[in-house]
Amino acid sequence: MSNSILVIGGGFSGLTAACEAAEMGYDVYIVEKQSFLGGRVTQLNKYFPKLCPPTCGLEINFKRVKTNPRINFYTFADVKSITGGPGDFNVEIQINPKYTTPQCTNCKPGEEAATQEVPNEFNFGLNTRKPIYMPHPMAFPAQCVLDASVIGTEEAAKIKAAMPPGHVDLNQKPETINLNVGAIIVATGWQPYDATKIDNLGFGKYENIITNMMLERMASPSGPTGGKIVRPSDKEEPKTVGFVQCAGSRDENHLPYCSYICCMATLKHALYLREQSPDIEIYIFYIDIRSPGRKYENFYAKVKADPKVHFIKGKVAEVGENPDTKAIKLIAEDTIGGGKIEQEVDLAVLATGMQPHGATEPIPGIEYDENGFVKPKEGIIPCGCAKRPIDVVSSAQSATAAALKAIQTVVRRAG
Amino acid sequence: MADFKKVEPDLSFIRGVMDSGGETVNRCYQCATCSVVCPLSNPDRPFPRKEMLWAQWGLASKVSGDVDVWLCHQCGDCTAYCPRGARPGDVLAGIRNNAIKYYASPKGLADIMSRPTGVVAIIIFFILVVLGEIFLLGHPFIPKGEVDYEKVLTVLPIDAVFMPLAIFVVIVALKGVFEFWHDISAGAKLPQSYTGTYPRPKLGDLICDYGWKSIIEILKHDRFKKCGQTAERAKGHLWLLWSFIILFFVTNYVFIGADIFGMHVPLSMFHPVKILANIGAVMLIAGVLMVKAMRDQKTKEGVLSSATPDWILIYLILAVGVTGLGAEILRLLNIAVIAYPVYYLHLGCVAALFLAVPYTKFGHLVYRTTAYIFQRWSDEIRAGRNGFAKKMTLDH
Repeated sequence: MSNSILVIGGGFSGLTAACEAAEMGYDVYIVEKQSFLGGRVTQLNKYFPKLCPPTCGLEINFKRVKTNPRINFYTFADVKSITGGPGDFNVEIQINPKYTTPQCTNCKPGEEAATQEVPNEFNFGLNTRKPIYMPHPMAFPAQCVLDASVIGTEEAAKIKAAMPPGHVDLNQKPETINLNVGAIIVATGWQPYDATKIDNLGFGKYENIITNMMLERMASPSGPTGGKIVRPSDKEEPKTVGFVQCAGSRDENHLPYCSYICCMATLKHALYLREQSPDIEIYIFYIDIRSPGRKYENFYAKVKADPKVHFIKGKVAEVGENPDTKAIKLIAEDTIGGGKIEQEVDLAVLATGMQPHGATEPIPGIEYDENGFVKPKEGIIPCGCAKRPIDVVSSAQSATAAALKAIQTVVRRAG
Repeated sequence: MADFKKVEPDLSFIRGVMDSGGETVNRCYQCATCSVVCPLSNPDRPFPRKEMLWAQWGLASKVSGDVDVWLCHQCGDCTAYCPRGARPGDVLAGIRNNAIKYYASPKGLADIMSRPTGVVAIIIFFILVVLGEIFLLGHPFIPKGEVDYEKVLTVLPIDAVFMPLAIFVVIVALKGVFEFWHDISAGAKLPQSYTGTYPRPKLGDLICDYGWKSIIEILKHDRFKKCGQTAERAKGHLWLLWSFIILFFVTNYVFIGADIFGMHVPLSMFHPVKILANIGAVMLIAGVLMVKAMRDQKTKEGVLSSATPDWILIYLILAVGVTGLGAEILRLLNIAVIAYPVYYLHLGCVAALFLAVPYTKFGHLVYRTTAYIFQRWSDEIRAGRNGFAKKMTLDH
């Protein structure tokens, strides 16, 4: 039997759940797949509707983690198996090598020595990085990572030689640890739906079609373009932008559910673009604008009042490209005005939805529904976007609730 | 709220659409993906999104006045991309089956013809009529000696059944077409005259211009071939269409030849018209089998589903082809005891197929052709060509 709680996923939900449970006096382990904590939120530029940067909320949670001795976390780690039952789970965890040591917080010399360039996954391939890298400037723990793919090559040796002694360790091996916990909180979060699967929307085929998360990275001051939203083809600021709502969401051929955040994200992106270029024309193609609650509804009303933002009720179902200008043609039926619309825009943004990680990388021992969302059962409590598609504030609320459920499990079993 | 309009759903219409292939209609949430991916949809009045809404709301009069329903060939592109599994292609097929019933009269016959058992009953009825004729003529049902269908029925008693039947079918179909034309004129919001009448094309233009061009288009299956998901279906359908044209020609050749000029039938196997007739028969069977195979395959792929009216028509055509060719082969093989019954069955099936024109899915032959012609003409009217708009301005 164990009174401790395991949190799988160190994003906003996982951090919140871990802090809540630890502050109630329970020992908590966090297992995070990436090399840093903070998850998807670290990629965001601003939250809706307040348009404040996510770093402040994250900083508070990081501080709670750092100052609470009851919280232990493992980054770059995968859950390999879960056995046992409520009150007495045995969890096998593999900690993957970063090939660096904790004092390796600045990889500039290694980056300069490296010759290879790989797509930067943190920026959805909008730029490249070196095989040794700091995932992002706010990364916590701030430790560089050396790609496993270069281990054993001359590239790795070159990087090691350039870095201060003791910073790079090419002999690290994956390490396995076993934890005995009373309850498990699953906060494995989401990934943007793979837009190349939506074959009629041209992502991957035409350069100037990007996803909403790519736009978010471009808007970020620490992003690939230093905060400027540009067309990928010529790096120019777009004069017209079209948003394609429900790109993959509410679609039985892709994600059958509403992803909840894409409408609000698009409204927020419209404001980014209006701030960047006051003369810009924005076209939002939608089925229904979903802005639930008073605050979100007000946000929608504010954007809707903007004469430069045009709302067209009708889903884009076909796209084309002008081969000379690389402009994108969005084709939809205006279901209110009637008639087919062919709108040419400099940049098209697909409002792709959320897919839970359970859909692509399920964890053995956890049950999922047909869409990859975690099925709750006693002792295994999902929260955040592992449970259903929700925004950050609702994720935090569901995480607090999950912490309470986890505590109940260990208390009942112990009693 | 001056424009307040109360929607009065016709529930029986919704039920009818759902029962004849469109059971998924209520799943539509109006995203309009269908209207965009449809390769046959037109830019000014895209379909099938609006038809899905009308069908959901039971707006029977809107749907019956909608020519676009007939411009759909059930390609299935809309169904493949529909995010809700609402299957617009199948719903439009259901709407068409319903529309044929709506324009058919008497309605009772349409009801009978909409059920497989009803069609079988019709076939049996006509077999009994033919047998009754043979009985009255005093001929044996299965005569001795070499098989010769003239021994039981000459051309004249056959025509005595089929001529009135053909005239009846043409009258019912024409009545339907006239009502249909009126409804689509109203639905298309064509400019009305002061007395409220709709413009009508001149008969010469109708035949030589719009009709001729439409028929050429149909003979080539230009639109059907534009289908994305199920373009392969056009091939079998084209074979079928051409076989009907061939068989129509040879039937009339025999009708005129035998009835009016006293030509001897059956024709020799080496007579050019007989050769053509046999080619037509083989094309008919091959065509309908291709249509069936493609329907089965596309159903498996999930882009198309088939309802009772589809199968009734396919099996009826197959029955006409198989019994026709069968009767000929059995005659040549001289197997009287099977040949004559197959011949009677063939006559029954042909009569049912005649009757199928105004009452079953076979009606698409007349309504789709009418819709093609109407679209060509109404586009001209809207564009202000054809002198009509000019005349309107002069009137003002």
